[in-house]
Amino acid sequence: MIWAKEETLPRQEIENIQFTRLKETLKRVYEKVPAYRKKMEQAGISCEDIKDLKDLKKLPFTTKQDLRDNYPFGLFTVPKKDLVRIHASSGTTGKPTVVGYTRKDLQIWTECVSRIACMGGATSEDIAQICFGYGMFTGALGLHYGLENIGAVVCPASAGNTKKQIMYMQDFGTTLLVATPSYALHIAEVAREMGLDPEKDLNVRIGLFGGEGMSEAMRSEMHRLWGSKMTVTQNYGMSELMGPGVSGECLELCGMHINEDHFIPEIIDPDTGEVLPPGAKGELVITCITKEALPLIRYRTRDITRLFYEPCKCGRTTVRMESLSGRSDDMLIIRGVNVFPSQIEEVLFKVPEIGAHYEIVVDRKDYLDFMEIKVELADESLLDSYAKLGELEKRIKSNLRTVLGLDAAVKLVAPRSLKRFEGKAKRVTDLRKM
Amino acid sequence: MIRQLSVFIQNEIGSVAQVTAILKEHSINLRAIASFDTPEFAILRIVVDRPDEAKKYLIEKGYAVTVSDAIAVELEDKPGVLNDMLQLIANEGLGINYIYSVVFRRNKAPLIILNTSDLEKTKLLLTDKGYSVAEQEDIL
Ligand SMILES: [Zn+2]
Repeated sequence: MIWAKEETLPRQEIENIQFTRLKETLKRVYEKVPAYRKKMEQAGISCEDIKDLKDLKKLPFTTKQDLRDNYPFGLFTVPKKDLVRIHASSGTTGKPTVVGYTRKDLQIWTECVSRIACMGGATSEDIAQICFGYGMFTGALGLHYGLENIGAVVCPASAGNTKKQIMYMQDFGTTLLVATPSYALHIAEVAREMGLDPEKDLNVRIGLFGGEGMSEAMRSEMHRLWGSKMTVTQNYGMSELMGPGVSGECLELCGMHINEDHFIPEIIDPDTGEVLPPGAKGELVITCITKEALPLIRYRTRDITRLFYEPCKCGRTTVRMESLSGRSDDMLIIRGVNVFPSQIEEVLFKVPEIGAHYEIVVDRKDYLDFMEIKVELADESLLDSYAKLGELEKRIKSNLRTVLGLDAAVKLVAPRSLKRFEGKAKRVTDLRKM
Repeated sequence: MIRQLSVFIQNEIGSVAQVTAILKEHSINLRAIASFDTPEFAILRIVVDRPDEAKKYLIEKGYAVTVSDAIAVELEDKPGVLNDMLQLIANEGLGINYIYSVVFRRNKAPLIILNTSDLEKTKLLLTDKGYSVAEQEDIL
């Protein structure tokens, strides 16, 4: 089902809406936010210079650093009394990023999430268990109101206490699971340890996953653990832009439809800032065109993806963004070679003898970069001999070499010995930075 | 033939004790244990009185465990007997993957546990030549 008519407009009409809203938003931030005005003046550009959508590229970028520099409310376009909600994302370094919402912002957010929930197959019949952490993060409350809005029963289970989560699933007959892909895999693993087969003993038929990227290999792993009939989709968002609801996969699984009447996406070369043509891979830049409290202009997401403008088989005409290939700031440079952790994950998930969890440690030894990847042994039949275990390590190593173009040490560890995550997984430790 | 457990352990202080602690908790009696010094991980081979139960308890605690067959041969306690048996196996063209022995036997002759390239063939060979090959119930 398609939630809103705005998802199926002809391209020209989408662009007309985008341009009108962009002009309005730009005028507002120029008038209300000194930091934006200053940036535009420095770039020698005024609101009148934006004569059509293509002129968007003339505007300066906004970065996470701008949000930090103006902490907490400096980029807001409305006085505090007009806000009805505040969220924050944890900063790994220094202050968090604070975002605010007016009543209208919350309505639009709810609308956007309702759309992506429908894209992923949710209906008013669903019992939705939200296993994102509630609190200052946007993920849980975003999905919460969006799913309530379509009439689903929402169970705000939050993250953690996995055995209890599984008890709720059994007792309430949960049909829809909201979680990070890493946590969803962990829940299935715990269910199996409890002697349950998620496919037969639980009723979860839809997974709406987000908060971190999900590769195709991870999707197969999800089907393996939760059952082949589960509808597994991912959606995308970030608190700076709104939260979840920026884009989501439809059942055709050919990219995440961006809610283009609220967000304008661009793809740029992360090094030069130059806008790249449709279909090219680069960093996603998003401009918010309907937000009242915090409309970011050309926000650099640091996420690497591609955009496809052809209308989708599902009937939607909105642009689709490919599964993330990584984050430009996640990229590791090892002995001069660019490595995305997602590439490593693709390799590992194709090896059936190991589990879904892994850890990457990068360090420097004798002035040389050195990468070690820890994986959990899952196939106990290899315990017959050291030779079989050694062969497995060698095979993983050689597959990694083919994909990455460099050698990594592979270390087999005992099942369940690596860290499990209830939110976003943190699988990379770069000791060179410490 | 007897049944042995192979358990994947990491080379860390206390990793063998963690396994034996689980067995102790369920009063499972250990008959033989073997492990070799390897750099990172090790396969711990153990023979116990209730192998299937032991496997279940270890899996519950997250271990990768497999139960497989092995040959246990009773040998007289005198010089040269082990050598004679090994010669016999070698002459037949069978390779030995690993070998260890049962320590606790209450006045009975020691047992040597073997894994070879062909277990059935090895067992036939040894029984033919008059060796006493133990079954699981013999080691209880
Ligand atoms: Zn579609």
